[in-house]
Amino acid sequence: MSLPSGVFQQSYGQDMAIFRTRTHWILLLAFLVLLFAMPVYSSDRILTILTIMGISIISVLGLNILTGYCGQISLGHAGFMAVGGYVSAVLTAKLGLSFWVALPCAGLGAGLVGIIFGLPSLKIKGFYLIMATVAAHFIIIWVILQFQGITGGADGLSVPRPVIGSLVIKSKASYFYLVMIITCLAVYLAKNIVRTRAGRAFVAIRDNDLAAEVMGVNLWVYKLTAFFIGCVFAGVSGALLVHYYAFASTDTFPFMNSVWYLGMLIVGGMGSTAGVIFGTVFLKLLDEAVTVFGPMLAAIFPAIAAQAAASLGLIMRGLVIILFLIFEPRGLVHRWELIKSYYRRWPFSY
Amino acid sequence: MTKFRLFFAVSLVVMLAVLLVLPACTTKETTVTATATATKTATATVTTTASPPPATTAAPKEVTLYIGGTFSLTGAYAEDTAAVLAGFQDYAKYVNENKKMAPWRTEAFPANVKLEVLWRDDELNPQKALSIYEELKGKGMLVYRISASQTAMALMNLLNEDRIGATSMAAGPYLLSPPKTIFTNYPLYTDEMGAIANWFLDNWKKAGNTAKPRVAYLTADSASGRSIDIPEMEAYLTKIGYEFAGKQFVPMVPTAPPTTQLSWLKDNKVNLAMGFMINPGSQPTIKEAVRLGMGTNQAYKITFGFAAPSHLAVFAPAMGTLGDGVVVAGSYPPMDHKNLAGIKLYDQLQAKYHADKPVTHIMYLAGLVEGMIQTEALRLAMLKVAPDKLKPVDVLEYGFYQIKNLSTGDLTPPLSFGPSDVEGAKEMRIDQVQNGKVVLLGNYKILGIYKHE
Repeated sequence: MSLPSGVFQQSYGQDMAIFRTRTHWILLLAFLVLLFAMPVYSSDRILTILTIMGISIISVLGLNILTGYCGQISLGHAGFMAVGGYVSAVLTAKLGLSFWVALPCAGLGAGLVGIIFGLPSLKIKGFYLIMATVAAHFIIIWVILQFQGITGGADGLSVPRPVIGSLVIKSKASYFYLVMIITCLAVYLAKNIVRTRAGRAFVAIRDNDLAAEVMGVNLWVYKLTAFFIGCVFAGVSGALLVHYYAFASTDTFPFMNSVWYLGMLIVGGMGSTAGVIFGTVFLKLLDEAVTVFGPMLAAIFPAIAAQAAASLGLIMRGLVIILFLIFEPRGLVHRWELIKSYYRRWPFSY
Repeated sequence: MTKFRLFFAVSLVVMLAVLLVLPACTTKETTVTATATATKTATATVTTTASPPPATTAAPKEVTLYIGGTFSLTGAYAEDTAAVLAGFQDYAKYVNENKKMAPWRTEAFPANVKLEVLWRDDELNPQKALSIYEELKGKGMLVYRISASQTAMALMNLLNEDRIGATSMAAGPYLLSPPKTIFTNYPLYTDEMGAIANWFLDNWKKAGNTAKPRVAYLTADSASGRSIDIPEMEAYLTKIGYEFAGKQFVPMVPTAPPTTQLSWLKDNKVNLAMGFMINPGSQPTIKEAVRLGMGTNQAYKITFGFAAPSHLAVFAPAMGTLGDGVVVAGSYPPMDHKNLAGIKLYDQLQAKYHADKPVTHIMYLAGLVEGMIQTEALRLAMLKVAPDKLKPVDVLEYGFYQIKNLSTGDLTPPLSFGPSDVEGAKEMRIDQVQNGKVVLLGNYKILGIYKHE
């Protein structure tokens, strides 16, 4: 990370720190205060959007470890979220366990299922792995539908709200806090995972798996580890989602969500934790803008009314992803780095 | 730096603690408990004749009330939902211009109240439906609607917790376990299947068959399609004298003809195949069935029965005589049944608002019916509470729960709702394609096959 002029690192610890100057810490503090003060001055709608963004960020962080860092492209992420969601739903609704027990179990369950579906990654990669993960999504959903007695099948399953002591986490504000705390922890965890030995191995596999193997990276172990970690994040995210709806249904995890999660990575910038946040926020805000813009468009062109709004969201998201792939394949995070760099060097930015 | 980090950590903890406590102190309690709801409902008495809102000496304040909600204008139901939206908008215009609920009704709509349709496209995406719901609730919507099972399942518990009444074009059993605040105007799919089964059995016996007819599900691979696959349904079919052969699932919108599934029906000697399908699913399925020589007029005799979203008014003109024999339960009457009051209203609205390009999709009628239900709920609630003081819970308790025998001009049977009765119709029509035309076979009682809490 580039630093302002005159800042010197005197130890390896300082060099590796995520926040290295007082300005960094102050900005972090300001951000967290602003974020956690949201319920005081925001409407239920804003809190809902932020909560959904937080849940998506957790999931995309997992996908970023798997795809962005380790290069194992997955289109089954919504399926892995479904595993986590249903593990938590069944444990809380059927077995009466606490949400706090069910949440780590959801992550673990999804991680284990991720390992199973990650096994083909040892033999196949690229397009073939994508197809294997697509299959994973549909197999997972099929299995959930078959165990009707446990999962409720197509009718779904009512899920209790999380509880802390006697406090039911039911209001928009309380659930926002729950999700944001877990999101912050997930971001911190994801950022650090990629700085470990395993993280460096992931990057080596992504860049050239043959070279990585020659250098002593155990592909079998690290590819499956990437699947496990990526799916743990997805599982936690899925659990948070079903408890937010207070209902688990296979329809909560449509296949297209996996595609959009990958789109979020592309827009934000693959292989970057900050990119995950940028991409998720950008596409979710685009979604909201399109939702509001659709009826306005229909009011302007009443002759085409509803047709004007139909598919606008899909078109816009698709268009944005294409434009990013052509004009900024390194994503928003690269733009952000350029802006920061420009600001630091000003007025000598040439 | 160490001291700074310590200071940072302490200040963060303090701020988080303050922020966590602050909303708890300022949160207003808006949720009404189920017990309180039940009590209020039991004591509520509502006059169903026209009467003015609570008397005031000053001129009544102009108030805008919203109807509508979330519409799935993207995805499998896009065509249906666009027609529903048009129905909603035209009904709102009719009420605003005439200050009447319908031509065949005597009750007036308050003169100082204007109806406006609020809508958003949820893309059949539960996450999107969630933020739309919060947005429209924030705009002051007192009633709501949802398009499909996907969004219904995501929102039903929230609607129930917020005590907001909603209409829906989805009719799955999840709405009943326990009954929530989503009200349907056509029967649950299991009840539609039950009606088809009874109709078929009557004809089977009349034809002098002594063997048990074999029945199988041929249904969409979706939450709605699979919602008929419940133990109660199978038990009912067996009880009334069927032999249950099994089930086959086809994609909601097939990308290839369902040859395998249809051949399975043939191999298993199935006499009646029934399920939930929308028109983009039922039409290619029946075309392939005819190609395989399956149908009431084909070499292999089999009857196909579908739930209401496979509307014959759309199916028959598209299929012609190829669709002969197909039965649909719980649908709306075709638009050429001009003697019905509801169809007369449809014609009137088309002539007035769509003279150049009429909306011919049958789900337009669903929009009219849902608009009528939402507006009736608002009207009934306004008899108890002034329009500018209305809250969603008022509309639910003094509105939706008090709707009894609401006439929709024969677009549906009379609709009645209550806290434990969210399935509005008590009977349904069964139609069949005969010589390429839709023919009414009769009205069948709702059986209540799905046993709920």
